Amino acid sequence: MSRTGDGQGGGGAPPTRRRAPLSSVFETGRGARIYPYLLVLPAFVIVLGVVLYPVVAGIVASFQDLTLRTLSRGTVSFVGLRNFERMWADPVFWTALRNTGLWVGANVVAQMVLGLALALLLNQRVRGLGFFRAGILLPWVVPSVVAVLTWRWMYDPSVGIVNEMLVRTGLLQEYFPILGDVRTALWAVTVESIWKGTPFVMLLLLAALQMIPRSVTEAAQMDGARGWRMLVFIVLPQIRLAFAIAMILTLILTVNNFNAIWLMTAGGPLNSSEILFTLAYRYGFERMNLGLASAVATVLFVFLVVVTTVYLYLIRLRDEG
Amino acid sequence: MFKATRRLLSAAACALGLWSAAAQADTITFWVNAPMAPNPAAPIYEEIRAFEARTGHKVNLQPIPFQELEQRLFVALGGGAGPDVMAIDTAWMAAFADAGVLADLSERTRPVAAQYQPGPLASGRYKGRQYGLPWYTNNVALFVNNDMLKAAGYSAPPKNWAEFRAVAKAMRALGPDKYGLTMGSGRFGVFQLYSFIWQNGGELIEESGRVRVGEPAVAEAFALFSDMYRIDKSIPDTVLTAQSWDEVFAPFIQGRAGMVISGDWTIGSIRRGAPNLNYTIAPLPVGVRPATVIGGFNITVNAKSKSPAAAAELALFLTGPRSVEAMRKADRLSAQASATTPEALAALPANQRPFMAQAAFGRPRPNVPIWAEVHSSILAPAWDASLRGLMTPQAAVQKAAAEINAQMK
Repeated sequence: MSRTGDGQGGGGAPPTRRRAPLSSVFETGRGARIYPYLLVLPAFVIVLGVVLYPVVAGIVASFQDLTLRTLSRGTVSFVGLRNFERMWADPVFWTALRNTGLWVGANVVAQMVLGLALALLLNQRVRGLGFFRAGILLPWVVPSVVAVLTWRWMYDPSVGIVNEMLVRTGLLQEYFPILGDVRTALWAVTVESIWKGTPFVMLLLLAALQMIPRSVTEAAQMDGARGWRMLVFIVLPQIRLAFAIAMILTLILTVNNFNAIWLMTAGGPLNSSEILFTLAYRYGFERMNLGLASAVATVLFVFLVVVTTVYLYLIRLRDEG
Repeated sequence: MFKATRRLLSAAACALGLWSAAAQADTITFWVNAPMAPNPAAPIYEEIRAFEARTGHKVNLQPIPFQELEQRLFVALGGGAGPDVMAIDTAWMAAFADAGVLADLSERTRPVAAQYQPGPLASGRYKGRQYGLPWYTNNVALFVNNDMLKAAGYSAPPKNWAEFRAVAKAMRALGPDKYGLTMGSGRFGVFQLYSFIWQNGGELIEESGRVRVGEPAVAEAFALFSDMYRIDKSIPDTVLTAQSWDEVFAPFIQGRAGMVISGDWTIGSIRRGAPNLNYTIAPLPVGVRPATVIGGFNITVNAKSKSPAAAAELALFLTGPRSVEAMRKADRLSAQASATTPEALAALPANQRPFMAQAAFGRPRPNVPIWAEVHSSILAPAWDASLRGLMTPQAAVQKAAAEINAQMK
């Protein structure tokens, strides 16, 4: 049989040519250049629809007169900065802003310090430590609504165990309405939030601690580093990226922690535990003014973006330095 | 062949009839407050089945927790969607009607208007048009623990403010964990106050829009209860934290508080929490005049319903003459006029009669679109501030009046 394939000499059938698969379009040239983008496209569309569109729509809404009335009558209109002016003119907004600062500050500092302390404790090779690691994770795995309502009962002014413990230890003379007093409501919710969020920070930092090469710590020990010096000059620099990530995540999760405040105190009494997130909810679903609610949400969004960007920039500067 | 043709024509006629019936039968979605549909044995399901049998329409009943109902309606209706028929609190009528999300039922209601009690029917009206039909009406009365009343040395529930305060003090003296009255914080507490504001000759917002919240009569009503808490200590500290009706009722159900000001929705909670509790429901103690806040739920139709005729039919059916018996089974008071005849009153369960007895003194809350905000964000904080002694009652109500005036503008 001729192998020349030119049809000459011999009279055999020409060799069949295999068709190139469709995917070969993406192996060379323009196809190869756009292939990665095509693979990312479905995820991008989802992110666009579920993340980017709502954020942009929310920001746009903050410049509109968006109430049930205007929505149902189709008279939604652009009102410029009017929603922001109303928000700034409301004394409750400034109270909520101050409370948000206190709420976030106390949560982030306490969760980072306690989380680091627990991670250092659990980063030991001691028998039975697995049991304690699992136990410390319990607050984090309990659903947030269950946790908040349980703490609400613990704080009950008539039958709450927190009051009972405080009275028995002599710190209080009699039961005290912890969630009903303007001086203590916010801090009481903060305690629950710290209890709930610390295990997550502990997990992140513990994983980072376990990634520190032993050679680094052994070398430092040979040079005489012990205790605080080991922690400050060797351990913390090694886990600074994980620390930064944990801090940013804790900040974001705390700012967005609606359940704890709303279910325990609904922002009361007298707005003493109101944060910007619960205020946005009130504007939206009590005043039925989505434009005003979106103005508060926009302020929160901008704050989070600025803080996160600045912080990560500082971390990167330090790395490069 | 003739027989075959006849059979074929009969079959075709049946199919056409079935198709026509199916084409005229609508499926309606009905949102109802969850306490009215706690389980499949609830009377509302029987009413729905009767409606479906009578009309051929299908009803998709969805119970929604009361605390979520207003927000979910806002989101759904604001988005142009939502159920065809919805049960809404009378206090929300003005806001939803003003927003244009409720269908105007004036023409359909006119022939049957005389069937309804005038007060509840008026609660479904906004700017002269009928947007809701009264389903059930309620008011608040005084629930009294008979054992604690007797132990405090009284044989009958208090009839006026002075007796009310004295009975509460006497109940407080029964023990360190005994109190005279349980109340709510924030919007729950201020709701309980409204009856006493009107009893004292005060007003909240007149129909003309004039705000009278800042007047001394209102401050005196605030002072009665804040003094009972701060001076007499006859209200437990749960008044500072109770954010739901269950939390308000809890001390009464536990036998720690001797009285609670509430409506017929309390009866089911007591039955579940303390079925053997020995209590009486009495008309509210009287101030310079008798008064009680009326509430209840209206049945309304979505202005954008795709089945407006069927939806209106359901609204009329649920609020019609059958509602007298249906509401009796649900421990509620029908808003039908026939529910107030002597025979109907005599047929009422004993625990419903005190509510009916004071129905003539019922006052609705102000019919203004911003009422939800006034109630939750202005009057509720005024109550909280007065209760804690952070402001005097007079200062608290005057501040509230200024804020309401600013919002009304």
